[in-house]
Amino acid sequence: MNFFGDSLMSAFGLMLSLDKELIEIVRVSLNVSLASTIIAGVAGIPAGFVISTGDFPLKRGVITLLNTLLALPTVVIGLLVYAMISRNGIFGVYDLLYTQKAIIIGQIILVMPIVTTFTISAISRIDARYRKTAMTLGASPFQAALVILKEARFGITAAVVAAFGRVISEIGICMMLGGNISGYTRTMTTAMALQYDKGEFVLAIALGIILLAISLVVNISLTYFQGKATG
Amino acid sequence: MTLYFLKDIRQSYAGRTVLDIAELALDAGNIYTLTGPNGAGKTTLLNILSFLSPPSAGQMTFNGIPVKFNAASLQQFRKSVVLVDQHPILFSTTVFKNIEFGLKIRKISRKKRNRIIQSSLSMVGMKAFINADARYLSGGETKRIAIARALACAPNVLIMDEPTANLDIENQLNIESIIREIHRQHNVTIIFCTHNIAQGARLASQHIHLFAGRVTDTEHENIFKGEITALNGRQYFRIDEKVLIPVPATDKRETKISIHPGAIKIVDRRGDEPVPPSLRGKVMGLSVEKDWIRAMVDVGVLISLIMETNEYDSRNLRINDLVDIEIHPDGITFF
Repeated sequence: MNFFGDSLMSAFGLMLSLDKELIEIVRVSLNVSLASTIIAGVAGIPAGFVISTGDFPLKRGVITLLNTLLALPTVVIGLLVYAMISRNGIFGVYDLLYTQKAIIIGQIILVMPIVTTFTISAISRIDARYRKTAMTLGASPFQAALVILKEARFGITAAVVAAFGRVISEIGICMMLGGNISGYTRTMTTAMALQYDKGEFVLAIALGIILLAISLVVNISLTYFQGKATG
Repeated sequence: MTLYFLKDIRQSYAGRTVLDIAELALDAGNIYTLTGPNGAGKTTLLNILSFLSPPSAGQMTFNGIPVKFNAASLQQFRKSVVLVDQHPILFSTTVFKNIEFGLKIRKISRKKRNRIIQSSLSMVGMKAFINADARYLSGGETKRIAIARALACAPNVLIMDEPTANLDIENQLNIESIIREIHRQHNVTIIFCTHNIAQGARLASQHIHLFAGRVTDTEHENIFKGEITALNGRQYFRIDEKVLIPVPATDKRETKISIHPGAIKIVDRRGDEPVPPSLRGKVMGLSVEKDWIRAMVDVGVLISLIMETNEYDSRNLRINDLVDIEIHPDGITFF
C-alpha cells in the first residue's frame, strides 16, 4: 500500500484505540476554540445588532474598519498580543503568555470581526416591519430586538459557525501565543505542524481527519437546525 | 368622549414638512376613515396615532392624558393601540405563536392565551390555520391573521393602513365584514385609511381627509397632476398626454387640480363624439352613500362624481354605460 494509504490506516487505528495524546490534543483544541467562539459570539452579536440598527456618526467608518479586520493575518494578531502579554508588555504581570488564555484572547481578536460583520449583514437584510410590528404589539425596544435577532437566526448561526471554523483551523495564534506545549497548549493544528516537521505523518493525518470530522458535525448540525426552522 | 386630541402636530423629515395638523379630535367608539392622495401624510398620521413615531412638534392627549413623546411613555400608550400595516408581516413561525406574541408581552396566562387565540382566529374566520406556518399564507390570509393578532391584544383603538389594498374583491369584502364585526362586538375605535372612497362611506361614521399634510374638507377629491395647455382658444388640463379636461383660465403650467365630485354632472349625449367641454367615459362603479349615489366614470382617468338619487333613478344608470360628463369650473381647484 502506498505511503498515504498506510498513514490513513494507522490514523484510524490511533483513533479507534482512543490514544491518550490524541484525545488530549483534541480536548485542548475544542476547549480554546469553543471558549473563543462563545466569547466572540456574546460580544460580537450584540455589537453587530447595535451597529446595524443604530444611527450614529462614523457608522460607515466602523463597518469599513470591521471589514478590513476580516483580513487581519493571525501572525499579526500573534505579534500584537505577544507584545502586550509578554513579560515586558502592559499585561505582562498577568503571566498569560504560553497559556490557553493567551490563545483564547488572540482567537477572540481574530473572530470578533467575523461574528460582528456577519451579524450586521444578517440583520440588515431583516425587514424593518418586524421591529415596527413587535413595537405596535406592545414590545419594549429590548423585546423588539429579540424578535429581529430571531428572524436573523440563520445568518447569525452561520456567523458563529464560520467563527468556530476559523479558530479551530488556525495555527499562527496557537503557535505564537500558546507555544505548542504538550498536554497544555498543543492544539490539533500545532500538533500537525510538529508531526510534519518530525516526518511523522500518522498522528498528523489522524488529527486532520478529526478536524474535518468536527467541521462536518458542526455543519450537519447547522443544516439540520436550518431545515427544522424552515419547516 | 374625546379619545385623541391633537394640537399643532407637525412631522418633518429632512426639513420637509409632511404633516401639519392645527387641531384634530377623535372620539371613542367611532369608525374613522382617513382619505387623501398618495403623499398626503396618511401613514405618517397613523404612525403618530399608533405611538410608533413621535411628531417633530405639537401636543397630543390620549384619553385625556397628555402624551409625553419619550420611549417609556410611548410604549405604555402602545398597549392600548395596535396598528395593522398596509402590508403586514407575520413572524417566521406558526399562526398560533404570531398571535401569542402580544399576549405574552401582556403577561397573560397560558390558559387564557389559548382561549383568546381561538376566539381571535374565529373572528377572522381562520381557526383552521391555528398551527399553519405563517410564511406560507396568501395575502388575504396574512391580513386576516394580522387583524386577529392585533385583536387578541384587546386594544382600545385598532388602526389599519389600507386594510384591503392589493386584495381581490372577495377578500376585500371579507375584511370589510371583519371590521364591521369587530366594531359591533368589541366597540373598538377603528381608524383606517383607504383610497376607496365608497369603502370609507360604507364602513365609517366619520371621515378625515388629508391633503398635502393638512386636514381639509372632503372637497379635495379627483386629484390629478398634469399641465395646462391651450387648444382652439380654450384652456385644458392635460393628464398623462391623453385626457383633456376643460379648466378656467389660469397662468399656471404644470400643476395639480382637484375636482369636486358634486361639480361633475352627467349630461345627455349629443352625437357620436363628445362635444367640448363634455368628456365621454364608461361607468365603472356605482355605490350608495348617505344621501347620494357615487359613480366612478373612466374618461381615460377614473373620475368620481356624486348625484342625487332621483337623478340616478331618472337616468337609469348601469355599469358599463357610456355617459357624457361636464365639469363646472367652480368645482376645479388649482394647487
